[in-house]
Amino acid sequence: MFFVTYLRRELRRRMRQAVFIALGLAVGVGLVVTVVAASSGVKKAQSAVLQGLYGVGTDVTVTGAPPAAPRSGSAPPKGAQTFQISPGGAQLCTNGVCHNAAGQTVDNLGSQYSAISASAVSKVARLHGVAAAAGGLTLNDSQITIPSDFGKAGSALPQPNSFTVDGVDLGHSGLGPLSSGSITSGHNFTAAESDSDVAVVDSGYAKANKLKVGSTITVDKVHFTVIGIVAQPQSGTPPDVYIPLKRAQAIATTGTQSLKGKVNTIYVTATSASLIPAVQKEISKLLPGDTVTTASSLASQVTGSLSSTAKLANDFGKWLSVLVLIAAFAVACLLTMAAVSRRVREFGTLKALGWRSLRIVAQVMGESVTLGVIGAAAGVGLGFGGAALITRFAPKLSATLATATGLHFQSVGPDGSRSSSPTANHTLLVPMHASVTPGVIALAVVLAVAGGILAGTFASWRIGRLRPATALSRVE
Amino acid sequence: MYKLIGVSKIYQKGRHTVPAVRDLDLVIADGEWLAVQGRTGHGKTTLLQLLGGLDRPTTGVIDLDGQDLARLRESQVTRLRAASIGFIFQTFNLVPTLSAAENVEAALIPLGAGPSERRRRVAAALESVGLGDRARHLPSELSGGQQQRVAIARALVKEPKVLLADEPTGNLDENTRDEIIALLGRLWRELGVTLVLVTHDSSIARQAQRVGVMSKGRLTIKLDARRAPAPGPTV
Repeated sequence: MFFVTYLRRELRRRMRQAVFIALGLAVGVGLVVTVVAASSGVKKAQSAVLQGLYGVGTDVTVTGAPPAAPRSGSAPPKGAQTFQISPGGAQLCTNGVCHNAAGQTVDNLGSQYSAISASAVSKVARLHGVAAAAGGLTLNDSQITIPSDFGKAGSALPQPNSFTVDGVDLGHSGLGPLSSGSITSGHNFTAAESDSDVAVVDSGYAKANKLKVGSTITVDKVHFTVIGIVAQPQSGTPPDVYIPLKRAQAIATTGTQSLKGKVNTIYVTATSASLIPAVQKEISKLLPGDTVTTASSLASQVTGSLSSTAKLANDFGKWLSVLVLIAAFAVACLLTMAAVSRRVREFGTLKALGWRSLRIVAQVMGESVTLGVIGAAAGVGLGFGGAALITRFAPKLSATLATATGLHFQSVGPDGSRSSSPTANHTLLVPMHASVTPGVIALAVVLAVAGGILAGTFASWRIGRLRPATALSRVE
Repeated sequence: MYKLIGVSKIYQKGRHTVPAVRDLDLVIADGEWLAVQGRTGHGKTTLLQLLGGLDRPTTGVIDLDGQDLARLRESQVTRLRAASIGFIFQTFNLVPTLSAAENVEAALIPLGAGPSERRRRVAAALESVGLGDRARHLPSELSGGQQQRVAIARALVKEPKVLLADEPTGNLDENTRDEIIALLGRLWRELGVTLVLVTHDSSIARQAQRVGVMSKGRLTIKLDARRAPAPGPTV
């Protein structure tokens, strides 16, 4: 009790200094908590985006190699549709056979990735560390209506009207983008519908296109009946339309090649998180031409404010909080040592009374640690406040992923030839929720108490070297 | 009993050496009152610090009841101070944030006494110096004389063998000075402690059994009244 009484009275005596030290530690710790909370919020946003892309439970994704971008002026791929502008007007050509393109609508269900044999899926499933594997087709349906004056001077290349289509393996419904959604209307696919022209539609796409259960949508000139509406997690980038994999394989093409018996994406679940890198390596060896990504490698492909915010939180935020914490520690140490200097005669008197140095050190340490604990509590409060402010006022973060449409355009005219393969960008707005976890609170307490201990240690070193005679001769 | 043999204390100040105490031989009997006079800077306080184990001599032996303070480890000297030596300082040296009772209690902390025993002894010590009703007052709420009484209570609460007082009345007015010296004298008689008192004041020094004068680090005994009865209360 004497210890506590002495401690309490001493902190009250130098209240201003104590508040300053505790506040300094609180600001340092609060900043660390806020940055960690923001960082964790960004990570959650990133993983939600990735989950939306690949679905819950997907650890590794295999995609066929993306097609090479065409060089300007190069010949179109065999079987591809091209437009030619010539003195005769705009023409649509396929394999050298051309006809007038004006007013025509082109509907193409293409793959943005090269095809992978479906047998590769079972090979992947048998690898060590793989819990499950499922194949899918990630497709883009692009529709373009050629304007009647296309090709004349001043006319622009048309932009495709596209939506994404996902071919779902109904035998592995736990993997892939559909697995993370919940059916809000109608029903999900059944095994019996694996070869039927039925579709499940994303709720956002359904709302925008006024679709409901029973509506009809056209995918590559084939009419599909909507049997269900699915809502995906808000921060996901889900496909717009899901159809059975068999039907997607039947109607989609890559270039001029059919996708029967093919997939272009394999979703893989590892038996444990620690095996993901090893699984990634094994799959890369098995399928050397294909792209094998994990959630962390895909994160680098996502552009937009989500990725720049992640960099900001991880780099600038981390270093800023480290610097502020060091400054807070330094201030705490200096002020504590100054306080000890002012109490030299007091400590000399206690030594004269028979107090051991350790006892005096314990008293001073107790004062410093108490300030550290107060700083921790205030810092956690500041951290919660900072996280709440971020969640409340931070604008939604954008995550953009570019996908190829599978179309190739070429124009030939007075100014030379031009080629392009338009891409469709999927941009998603992701809310950021900065959250303070128990782990972060524990970190805050440890940091602040460490600051108090550090300050007390420097002061204790001084006390340990104090000779009573010298201390008592100090004039205060 | 103190036995000092060939005790010297030399301070190194840059290139200069300052001999604060030179080759001092002294015996202080149990229960004796020794007053030490002398001009400022001639080694009085240094002698007191050596007697209290607050500093170590450069050479010589400081024997207290068979223990050489110069040879003991720091922890042993600290334990000895805690149990057997009480200090009274010119500037009182009370802890400003602790009450009178808590300041006195601070002297019992190193002895490991329990809370109830500490309370009992503190109350008795404050009563013996006439401050039983000021136990909860902070030093800032006490007069100079009252603060010195608290310091005396703090020095005596542990029932020491030795009381070392360094100019205990140096910061007090004349009337208060007389009160404090009378109190010290009474307590010395009642408790039988060995009292070594440093003072400038000859009228105070004359009340002791022996008076020594420190001059340039050497002690000369000027008055030895030990065969005469101890001075009684002033009538």
